[in-house]
Amino acid sequence: MSPERKKGPQALHGPGLELSEEVIGPGFENVSAPRAQGDKRRSEWVQLAHDALGYRRTKIGLVLVLFVAVLAILGPLLAPYTPYEFTGLPYAQPGSDAVLGTDHLGRDVLSRVLYGGRSVLLLAFAATAIGSFLGVTFGLVAGYTRDAVDDTVMRLLDVVLAFPQIVLVLLFVSILGPKVWLIVLIVGLTHSPRIARVTRGATLEVRERDFIKAAEALGVSRIRIAIGEILPTITSPLLVEFGLRLTYSIGLIAALSFLGFGLQPPAADWGLMINENRIGLIVQPYAVFVPVALIAVLTIGTNLVTDGMARAMIGIERDTGAA
Amino acid sequence: MSEDAKKSGFDLDRILSQRISRRDLLKRGTAAGAIIGLGPLLAACGGGTTTTTAAGGTTTTVGEVKKGGNLKIGLVGGGAQDTADPHMSSFIPDDAINWCLFEGLLQYSADYTPEYLLAEDVSPNEDATVWTAKIKSDILWHDGKPLTADDVVFSFKRIVDPDNPLLGAAALGGLKSENIVKVDDMTVTFTFDEPNVVFKTDALTQRLVHVVPVGFDPVNPIGTGPFKMKSFKPGEGFVLEAFADYHGGAPYLDTLTFTEFEDPTARVNALLSGAVDAICELPPSQLPVIEATAGLVALNSKSGGWVPFCMNLSVKPFDDVRVRQAFRLIVDRQQILDNAYSGVGWIGNDMYSPFDKGYPSDLPQRVQDLEKAKELLAEAGYADGLTVDLITSDAVGNGAVAQAEIFAEQAKGAGVTVNVQKVDSAVIYGDDYLSWGFSVDYWGLRNYLQQAAAGSTPDAPYNETHWENEEWYALVQEAAKTADDDKRNDLIRQANTIEYNEGGYIIPTFKNQLDAYSDKLVGIEQNEVIGIPLGRWRLHTVYFK
Amino acid sequence: MPPLLKVILRRTLLGLLTLLLVSGVVFAATQALPSDTARAILGREATPERLAALREQLDLNRPAIVQYGSWLGGVATGDLGDSLVAKQPVTALISGRVKNSAALVLLAALISVPLALLLGSLSGLLRDRGFDTVVSLGSLTLAALPEFVVGILLILLLATQVFHIFPAVTLLDPESSILAQLKMLVLPSLTLVLAVAPYIVRTLRASMIEVLESDYIQMARLKGMSERTVLGRHALPNAIVPAIQVIALNLAWLAGGVVVVEYLFNYPGIGSALMDAVSNRDLPVIQAITLLIAGLYVIFNLVADILTILVSPRLRTGLQ
Repeated sequence: MSPERKKGPQALHGPGLELSEEVIGPGFENVSAPRAQGDKRRSEWVQLAHDALGYRRTKIGLVLVLFVAVLAILGPLLAPYTPYEFTGLPYAQPGSDAVLGTDHLGRDVLSRVLYGGRSVLLLAFAATAIGSFLGVTFGLVAGYTRDAVDDTVMRLLDVVLAFPQIVLVLLFVSILGPKVWLIVLIVGLTHSPRIARVTRGATLEVRERDFIKAAEALGVSRIRIAIGEILPTITSPLLVEFGLRLTYSIGLIAALSFLGFGLQPPAADWGLMINENRIGLIVQPYAVFVPVALIAVLTIGTNLVTDGMARAMIGIERDTGAA
Repeated sequence: MSEDAKKSGFDLDRILSQRISRRDLLKRGTAAGAIIGLGPLLAACGGGTTTTTAAGGTTTTVGEVKKGGNLKIGLVGGGAQDTADPHMSSFIPDDAINWCLFEGLLQYSADYTPEYLLAEDVSPNEDATVWTAKIKSDILWHDGKPLTADDVVFSFKRIVDPDNPLLGAAALGGLKSENIVKVDDMTVTFTFDEPNVVFKTDALTQRLVHVVPVGFDPVNPIGTGPFKMKSFKPGEGFVLEAFADYHGGAPYLDTLTFTEFEDPTARVNALLSGAVDAICELPPSQLPVIEATAGLVALNSKSGGWVPFCMNLSVKPFDDVRVRQAFRLIVDRQQILDNAYSGVGWIGNDMYSPFDKGYPSDLPQRVQDLEKAKELLAEAGYADGLTVDLITSDAVGNGAVAQAEIFAEQAKGAGVTVNVQKVDSAVIYGDDYLSWGFSVDYWGLRNYLQQAAAGSTPDAPYNETHWENEEWYALVQEAAKTADDDKRNDLIRQANTIEYNEGGYIIPTFKNQLDAYSDKLVGIEQNEVIGIPLGRWRLHTVYFK
Repeated sequence: MPPLLKVILRRTLLGLLTLLLVSGVVFAATQALPSDTARAILGREATPERLAALREQLDLNRPAIVQYGSWLGGVATGDLGDSLVAKQPVTALISGRVKNSAALVLLAALISVPLALLLGSLSGLLRDRGFDTVVSLGSLTLAALPEFVVGILLILLLATQVFHIFPAVTLLDPESSILAQLKMLVLPSLTLVLAVAPYIVRTLRASMIEVLESDYIQMARLKGMSERTVLGRHALPNAIVPAIQVIALNLAWLAGGVVVVEYLFNYPGIGSALMDAVSNRDLPVIQAITLLIAGLYVIFNLVADILTILVSPRLRTGLQ
């Protein structure tokens, strides 16, 4: 359960220190290997989704996420204005022609809110996907090969882990400038060590199982075993991890926009709106409050869903009865 | 200054030499230190019009003066580079220190006439190649020592040191170190290779040539100003305390506490919450907040700072005059003034130096005309639309990004796609500065010939529009040599008109200097035109009610 | 106990190796800054002669590996070089900022850790009761929120819109100690508390539940020990072990988390100094601060690892 973000308990344990799994203790079952059996492993994530939906928090989370997602995707169709046109004077109060008032340049806040969610969702999703791809690759390689490769990969990932994510992003943004692709890439990269650890931990357990041994005995190539046999077996912890990283990607990318390093004007983007309109907080709070609230709803939603999945994964016995 | 400049003749050469450090001008939102509208360039030559007044020059105090207290001021954030060296002042915190701690031989009064401060007389010889400065005898440094000619010589030699010329050197017209000579304890002569008629009025009044004591150490800054340094944390703030022996009379306040705010929101909040008593550079969008808040006063002073769109004539599509004309017709100036500057400023007409006597105010005000713009673009071969990048940066100052965003929206109406590229300071003023195709910049106010020499002549150091026009240049050169006011102004008017019709600048608006303070404060002076925050930082006659 | 010592030694060496690699990354990254440092410093005052002189002065002409070597040597001896912009030693420049940030982080840690331990263990103890549900959902919600969102909501609630209790911006009087100005620290540290406490709460709650279900607690109860002894002597100490890691990681995270919070509240600490240095291309300051933050991260984790091994009887015996 206990989703963690920038600070996995497993975060800084070196390779070959399997004792850390014990050290971590019961708070982090979500990172341990699933108990799935080989024969039903391919439908495991379906089972996970089914079980997760048994919890009320998952349903609530899903509703929140869907609400924001629908708003972000369909918003542009509903917006009364384009996000760029000037509908009044700066920081005009809410009125009949601008339900949420205007922003620092006199643009309609409602329209910019309705247009500004796509980028948040898209960039966060892209960063998480990149992080997952890298992390799963590193984790499979480290977990399925041994010794030297494992040691080297995990040691290098430790270096990435030593930087708080935002500091590493700032370091690279200061080199190449605030470019969207760069931010997505670096945020993804900073996720990869955590995802790699989860993948590696799960792989270590699975690789000793009979069906892997059997496949190896049959001479199936290691790459095919890794992708075809191991990966499908460990989807549950990876899905939980994906949910966690998505939550933190949303927060991190919005924070970077808030610091002025994300999307650039005149783009409509929730993080950027907060940055641009913060000065008008006293005169016209909606231009800040509405994007802040939507980011909050979105991250709470993804976290609830993730928590539900984590609970489903570790089974019902530890559940607190919130379902 | 450049050797090339010498080719352009004596007057232009001299004007060029007056140019202010670009970095100094660009990185802030005020026109502090700009050399402006003295009208007739040569008229001030004799110095006979200058009068001596009490240091500080303000006589606005009404009612009974209350002494004591600590005045807390919120500043625009500087950073680790903050300096107490008056000859290296670049950013607003540096300037605040400079104006409070140091003084020059002369200063500008609130209505922009030069007046004596540390000097009691500054006079040229017949051809204005030798200037003799006599300093006042009753002036003490913060450490109690008297001001002497040695200090003046040291200061100016320090500025023009050939191995390490400081920012003020640009203002001194090629003054050579060996030509700064002490005559007696109270007299110094400055000798120039060529006549320098505005040395007294334009150069000695600048903050970058303030006087420091022999052996000056910026870490332990000693000045003659009304306040002295108590503590200083670069990037965070500083505390000044009253200098009881100030020659203009001891300040009423005990201390000034300056805090730097990187973020304008924080600066405004600090004033609203009473954490500070005054702030400089109130963002225009916050003016209604201040006006609606009991106990707070806004200080809104007209100024001549301008934020142009610069079209580079040496690249496509701006090499075609029709495109430039079309772009100028795209701009809805009122919308830029209202939405980017919340109406705090005034509308421009694509010509700089609006206070110059030669400014053609009779030329028709240009207004938005999208149909005409489309026609011009079609004639230029862009009937199917046009896409350009527009480079801008927060580093240019208040409104620079906003007006770019607004222009981009306005341009859609003429079928022009403008991609706003917001970059940081190190990029916009980096290697590509002066070669951007289409960009936003900031200039402080100067009169026409000085501005032309800085930004428009072929050899100007900052010719960002790559403006080259022989007819125009001949007019400017002729004007710079013309002593007769009317004739010169007429030449300037003709040159201006050429730029109005064909130039590379779009000047939608001029800015105002906007500050705010608590109405508990008495004595902060309103100044027009100059654009230095909070009554030119003249705070020794300010007191709490 | 040699095996234990061996593990600790191995961890320490690995930590040092990580630090070395981290310094390499920091140096390489700042070397790659596109803007010429000398040009950035001189701005429009840059003439070829002055540029050349300044490059010489800054040692920018030497090969990168030589610059790295001398920089690392300096770091080892506490000399972080001179700020290119302020032209004074980096240590002098950031020492005050480090103190301010340390005060903020310490205050946040001193509040969040005991509070979280209390809430977490109570929540585990009172499992499934109303208190637990509230704490669980509260921590789950707060854990999801980015810290700038928490900070802005706090500003709206406590500073500008609803109540007007605390200042929305930090305004430190440079003349007096930061501890004398605690009011300024309230909102920034509260933001940090709300950012880290949920994780500790959730960890402790889970481990408390696990420990309470364990055989030895059942055994202790069967032996007739008082509930007080069971909880105080056996359950809590064992439940805290897994939390050590999470606490350490959260404290380490605070070192980086201050960047956004300091920016939001205009707080003069290392985070805002880093933002400043990045926009000024002030290499030595960027290097010093990122290395400091990363170093703290590595050290906190090392200490937590060693502590965990030392206090965990299962592990200690397992190694023998």
